[in-house]
Amino acid sequence: MSEDYAIRCEHVTKDFVLHHNAQQSLKARFVGLFHSRWRATPHTFRAVDDVSFNVRRGEALGLMGRNGSGKSTLLSLIAGIYPPTAGHILTHGRLVPMIALGVGFNAELTGSENIYLNASLFGLKNREIRSLFPKIVEFSELGDFIHEPVKNYSSGMYARLGFSVAVHLDPEILLADEILSVGDSDFQNKCLSRIEKLRKEGMTLVFVSHSRDQVRQFCDRYIWMENGRAIASGKVSNLERPVLECKRR
Amino acid sequence: MSVMSTTLPNPLAILRRWWGYRDLLYNLVSKDIKVRYQGAILGFAWSLMNPLILTAMYYFIFTYVMPSNLPHFALYLVVGTLHWTLFSNVVMQSPELLTGNAGLLQKIRFPRVLIPASNMLLNLVLWTMAFIVLLILYLPLGGRFNTVLLVYPLYLLLFIGFSFGLALVLSVLYVDFRDLKHLIEVTMQVLFWSTPIIYRFDMIPPHLRILFAMSPMTEFTLIFQDLFWSGRLPSLHLTLAFALWTAASLGFGMAMFHRRSPRLIERL
Repeated sequence: MSEDYAIRCEHVTKDFVLHHNAQQSLKARFVGLFHSRWRATPHTFRAVDDVSFNVRRGEALGLMGRNGSGKSTLLSLIAGIYPPTAGHILTHGRLVPMIALGVGFNAELTGSENIYLNASLFGLKNREIRSLFPKIVEFSELGDFIHEPVKNYSSGMYARLGFSVAVHLDPEILLADEILSVGDSDFQNKCLSRIEKLRKEGMTLVFVSHSRDQVRQFCDRYIWMENGRAIASGKVSNLERPVLECKRR
Repeated sequence: MSVMSTTLPNPLAILRRWWGYRDLLYNLVSKDIKVRYQGAILGFAWSLMNPLILTAMYYFIFTYVMPSNLPHFALYLVVGTLHWTLFSNVVMQSPELLTGNAGLLQKIRFPRVLIPASNMLLNLVLWTMAFIVLLILYLPLGGRFNTVLLVYPLYLLLFIGFSFGLALVLSVLYVDFRDLKHLIEVTMQVLFWSTPIIYRFDMIPPHLRILFAMSPMTEFTLIFQDLFWSGRLPSLHLTLAFALWTAASLGFGMAMFHRRSPRLIERL
């Protein structure tokens, strides 16, 4: 039964300890061991508040909401970067988080060295990377720059290489966080059509975006988040309504 | 999927899973080596320079300037400092392992233990260069190749395990206690001078010896001096004592890292 779902989130809540008391001094910790009265009660911030949803296999979900509404935290939770404070998340299938492009790139290494490093961080074997390598380079349109250290790349080239690695990892679930706002429009279109192609092949997509048009174009359903809560959800054909409600408030 | 996670893990499957990460480990270590020797013409050869110069200095000072009554004193020093250097590099670099790789750990999910493991391997690779220098200069320094050296790999493994366990603990603790880095720097100085590396264990006043002997640093130093300098097998109780330290360090380190690292990522 659970096989139908790529992602199941059940009552997922995430609290972050706020920075100003996250780093307690050794002294405060030591004193706190013996005197519960003096133990600092950590101030927490609820980034995601009791969110539940399922994403069926092959479905595309758009996550929308203002900055700081908890979209990216939710994405990191699904990616398994950190555990939820409460609730459960189950994912089924090879998951590739594109939370930021080119994470794990080392500025000193060349593009091709970074392809190997980055793809192996996502779980690929060097043998597999070797066979994908020509395709990744070709897609990135970097040409001879692939042998240059990444520190000499423009931000667009950097993002192109990052995207190129990510989409060649053969993801079954792709988590994409506002990644398509980078690069020139030609490359953006290329990325979007690549995602569309992967979708047709049955890939599940969770897509964080500010652009309603993009969400309408790529997603089947959407979730609108506000202050960590999912305040609206439904088919993308009804996307306009909750957005306007929200704006008027 | 949820049912699978409740069944007991099969040790063979776990082993196979870890074996699957060897390419990533290789890529992480080779990245660190490439970055370290970026642009240096002599590149990797520099890792030979430090031990070579150090050994030459020891030999010169303790043969011509301050002749010691101990036979082959330069060799004694080199064996002690060589192993101490590996230990101290691993320990000193451990606090910033997790925090220094925050960008990576917060964006990509991969087994976190590979970060300390790759650093351990990096240090081992660089250290091997120094060890090769020791092997080349071993005879000129007055050492004798002896059959007892055959057990050296076993002791080396214990030594690596001990250092790695400690590095795991320190890397986790540092996330919450940023004072730790400074504490380690000071402590390592104290530990170096309280370990019989540049003096002999016999020179310690007899009533204080037991205190020194309890230190795992003293134990591994004595073990390696036995093997390379005295040419004899380390005593059984020395071996057992250090094996116990290693088991404690590795066991505690792995348990702590496994239990606490998932909740640390958001605080890096």
